[in-house]
Amino acid sequence: MSSISELYDVSWEEMRDKLRKWREENYRNSEQIVDVGEELINEHASKLGDDIWIIYEQVMIAALDCSRDDLAWSCLQELKRQFPDSHRVKRLAGMRLEALERYEDANKLYDSILQDDPTNTAARKRKISILRAQGKSSEAIRELNEYLEHGLSDELTTTTLSCSYAKAAFCLEELMMTNPHNHLYCEQYAEVKYTQGGLENLELARKYFAQALKLNNRNMRALFGLYMSASHIAASPKVSAKVKKDNVKYAAWATSQISRAYQMAGRGKKENKCSVKAVEEMLESMQITMS
Amino acid sequence: MKMGEVELSCLAYAKMYLHASQFPRSSVNGLLLSSSPAGAAVCITDCVPLLHSHLSLAPITQLALTQVDVWCSQTQQRIVGYYQANACVSDSSPTPCALKIAEKIFEQCNNAVLLMIDGEKMFPGCRVPPIVMYERKDARWALKDKHTIMLRQWEETCSIVNQLFSSGDQTLLVDFDSHLDDITKDWTNQKLNAKIMELISPANGNV
Repeated sequence: MSSISELYDVSWEEMRDKLRKWREENYRNSEQIVDVGEELINEHASKLGDDIWIIYEQVMIAALDCSRDDLAWSCLQELKRQFPDSHRVKRLAGMRLEALERYEDANKLYDSILQDDPTNTAARKRKISILRAQGKSSEAIRELNEYLEHGLSDELTTTTLSCSYAKAAFCLEELMMTNPHNHLYCEQYAEVKYTQGGLENLELARKYFAQALKLNNRNMRALFGLYMSASHIAASPKVSAKVKKDNVKYAAWATSQISRAYQMAGRGKKENKCSVKAVEEMLESMQITMS
Repeated sequence: MKMGEVELSCLAYAKMYLHASQFPRSSVNGLLLSSSPAGAAVCITDCVPLLHSHLSLAPITQLALTQVDVWCSQTQQRIVGYYQANACVSDSSPTPCALKIAEKIFEQCNNAVLLMIDGEKMFPGCRVPPIVMYERKDARWALKDKHTIMLRQWEETCSIVNQLFSSGDQTLLVDFDSHLDDITKDWTNQKLNAKIMELISPANGNV
């Protein structure tokens, strides 16, 4: 049987680059990946340098798709040898067990990852997919909620924020829908809207800061956010007199709440006087620019 | 000190380092302050750690900038720069958010610096300060010549940072984010500053 390189007249570099392209663009053309990857690993491993590890991972996953447990096993062994304590490699081992339908064993592996690192998104996701595969939908939903409770929303938000504010807003909208009582999502959503800017977004921001405060009246970010968004709206030349008046009221309310909170915090602690004074002056100066 | 030189004090360096260490899996940022009068050279005498999450969101950043500004005018300090440590240690290049904030600072301070912490060099025993500095030149932020960056008594500074870790005092560091979670916490870090100054003064002379 002729090799890929002979069949298609490609060099090992081109094969490596193809693998990278498929990896970066998330192609699941598993059969091709297995063909190209297997040859690359068997014939050209020494030339690949540090790329080899990620290639082992990519080929292993593709091998599982093609029921090539022999190949998946050998890739896994290489990865285990190089990264003996890695959670990422453990997860791959779990995926192999899933492919073999050894779900109990896979779950044990994922649980051990989560014991070490409760915020490990990947392990939780695998557990959820196992439940789905077994048709256990109510348990899958329970796992999903635990997923969200462990502050993984932060991971989600952080990741999507690096893509775009619009994506982050979208992600938060979903989170707010499934977790209407969570003040943090409201507040983060408001922050994204504020950052996107423009009058409409500022008004949305103000609404969601207010909502966050309704859910938790001690959320300082929401309080400051309410103050800032209301102030900006009131200062905008585009708003009607009524809107301006309303927002001045919101801002004034927020100011009083902020002052009160800082005064209570500063009570008895000398070092907090700096913060208290800074806040007072800041609120004063912002009020001057607003009128 | 000569024109274009930047001096980084032990106090400022120690707190930046502690901040980055406290949140190893997040990006962190903060402001660089000076208590020296404006001049051709920049003396960074202190820093205020700001955020450890969602650095690119505007409201809290704006809030922090305003509060620090006010505090500076009360304490005869100026904001002279910005620092950031990226969550991804292998990439110490300034993010769009870093450039934006640095621009804002530059509007008020014409020899403002942008300091990126190089996560890859942040290990004990590293001989080189894990920092990369940028300055505003020809309408962009350009890498600063390493020879214009002064870190006096580098070994002493390293030893002080180590002492802070061994005494557990690194946990005293409060950033603005943590302050918002609990407003009884002091983002001006008076307590930690005092501890660091104690370590600096007796045997080591002024750093």
